[in-house]
Amino acid sequence: MNTLESKLSLVGLTKSYASSIPPAVDRLDMDVEDGHLVALLGPSGCGKTTTLRMVAGLLDPSAGRIMVDGQNITNTPVHKRGMGMVFQSYALFPHMNVAENVSFGLQMRKRPKQDQERLVQQALEMVQLDHLAKRRTKALSGGQQQRIALARALVVEPTLLLLDEPLSNLDAKLRETMRTEIRQIQQRTGATTLFVTHDQDEALDMADRIAVMNGGLIEQFGSPRDIYERPRTRFVANFIGRANLIQASIDAEGEDQGEGLVQYQISVADHGRFLAVGEPGMAGTTRHVLVRPHRLRAGPSGSDAEGLRGSVESTSYTGDSISYRVRVGEDLFTAEMLTAGQDQLRVGDEAAVSWKASDALVLPEEVS
Amino acid sequence: MSAEPVPFKARTNIGRLAFLLIVLASYLFLAAPLVIIFVMSFNGNQYLSWPPENFTLDWYRVLPEQSQFIEGLQTTLITASSSTALVLLCGVPAALALNRYEFRGKGALSAFFLSPLLVPTIVLAVGLVLILGPIGLTNTYLGIIIGHFAITFPYIIRTTLMALLTSDTSCEEAARVLGAGRFTVFRRVTLPIIAPGVIAGGVIAFIVSFDEAVISLFVAESGRPTLPVHVLRYVEQSADAAVAALSVILILFSLLIVIIVERLMGLRTALR
Repeated sequence: MNTLESKLSLVGLTKSYASSIPPAVDRLDMDVEDGHLVALLGPSGCGKTTTLRMVAGLLDPSAGRIMVDGQNITNTPVHKRGMGMVFQSYALFPHMNVAENVSFGLQMRKRPKQDQERLVQQALEMVQLDHLAKRRTKALSGGQQQRIALARALVVEPTLLLLDEPLSNLDAKLRETMRTEIRQIQQRTGATTLFVTHDQDEALDMADRIAVMNGGLIEQFGSPRDIYERPRTRFVANFIGRANLIQASIDAEGEDQGEGLVQYQISVADHGRFLAVGEPGMAGTTRHVLVRPHRLRAGPSGSDAEGLRGSVESTSYTGDSISYRVRVGEDLFTAEMLTAGQDQLRVGDEAAVSWKASDALVLPEEVS
Repeated sequence: MSAEPVPFKARTNIGRLAFLLIVLASYLFLAAPLVIIFVMSFNGNQYLSWPPENFTLDWYRVLPEQSQFIEGLQTTLITASSSTALVLLCGVPAALALNRYEFRGKGALSAFFLSPLLVPTIVLAVGLVLILGPIGLTNTYLGIIIGHFAITFPYIIRTTLMALLTSDTSCEEAARVLGAGRFTVFRRVTLPIIAPGVIAGGVIAFIVSFDEAVISLFVAESGRPTLPVHVLRYVEQSADAAVAALSVILILFSLLIVIIVERLMGLRTALR
């Protein structure tokens, strides 16, 4: 994508605290389209919050550029960037009431009094808390504080909305409701949003694009579907959803499967030959092959059974589905199947795990 | 042994009673001087003597006629409020710098700021006389204010630092992102949040300065005697109960300050 067209571009953005430790964010490149919600997803310490704080202006990058609407804002001070940010702790001003909190950004922009009142009212209506305008913020519940923080960030019509793990302090049930609500408000206002989270479900559910980060690098940047269905690295495959990864040598490239995938013949050491799909051009190399547990079948290992042969090490029954953990040599495979009908395997049974060719993906990442 | 074991419940009651008695005795011991002063101030006897003989309000009646007390009070009010204002003006930014910024020699500076608490006041007083004398500041308001600044500074630093440590810095970040420059952030967000600690520090500084005798005595005994210095002189010369009446008024004055602070913000949150 052209840098000029995107709302936000990060170019070689780097933050290193000391030369003795690896940089927290390492030469990051990313383009965010106008109106998109982009999730920065990764384990703690992956650099996602550092990236967000650099975009906000709360941290100075060691190198690289931050472009908003084609303008370089790398050296613009925080208070001149016009961002809206929601903090993990909400950071509501404890000495102001709800309406004063929300109008703070408007006061800083020296908007006329009537405008302020009208916009604050609108913002509070948007988060359905207009009846609490005169309340002290301390008396509010976590969910309410969260919405006030969102209203406070959005009322100034920010160039970018930055959300730093906004849901992590809420209980599980409220988190789901707020997810939907934040997403709806974001889509209604069209605010281009960066969203930091370590929760893959949140990212898959809410984001237009996900940047999976690890060790200061973006491992993969793509739509939620891409990230889940077509992970490029082992890290992404493991971090998003559950994964069975098999090391295999990729033998022959077969016919085109559409969507940029070709079929491959692969061989797994000592277990024979199988089929998988992947991007073209990987024949003759060793790669990891991903099969999601619910795409893996486990069945009794008769003489005619296909697949990798092993023995059932444990089973877990959850009503709708049953999952088997099958040991094949050194590796442990998890197969999750609907409980309908078929014969159930028991611990210790000989079993064979198999898959449809289109359910096994050869990862482009080279095996080191 | 034939002694029956004390039943558990009775034993705890005895323990509790003993504990209560000890607590009560300790409080009585601490409050005894105040109680005695209070009673003495209504004593009809000519001299400070125990037990009191008959009741009178004369000592309160003669207080306004004691010009040295009125003068001393004036001096004390001027020096205490000026040094409190000055110490707040310098101490709050200093605490802010110590808490929010990283710089060379931060630990040393922090220790230096708190050092007046560790130096005996008498040493400080002698040192001050040696410095202030040659530059002509002994026996002036400014001389006393400088001395009191030194001993009250640590209190402001401590209470403000405590308030800063417990405050959420993301509030300040939120304000900056919303468009507030550094000074606006301080005025609109940081200061209101740490206000309880700052006010508590200010109250302590005022009371310490109001009460201080040693430095005032050394620095300005002949020129600008403060109220405590006058009280000291008075007790040296005469032994009537006017001093007791004055003390009661001062106690009520401190109590008033404490009550006002408590009403305004809750002393417990201010001194946490």
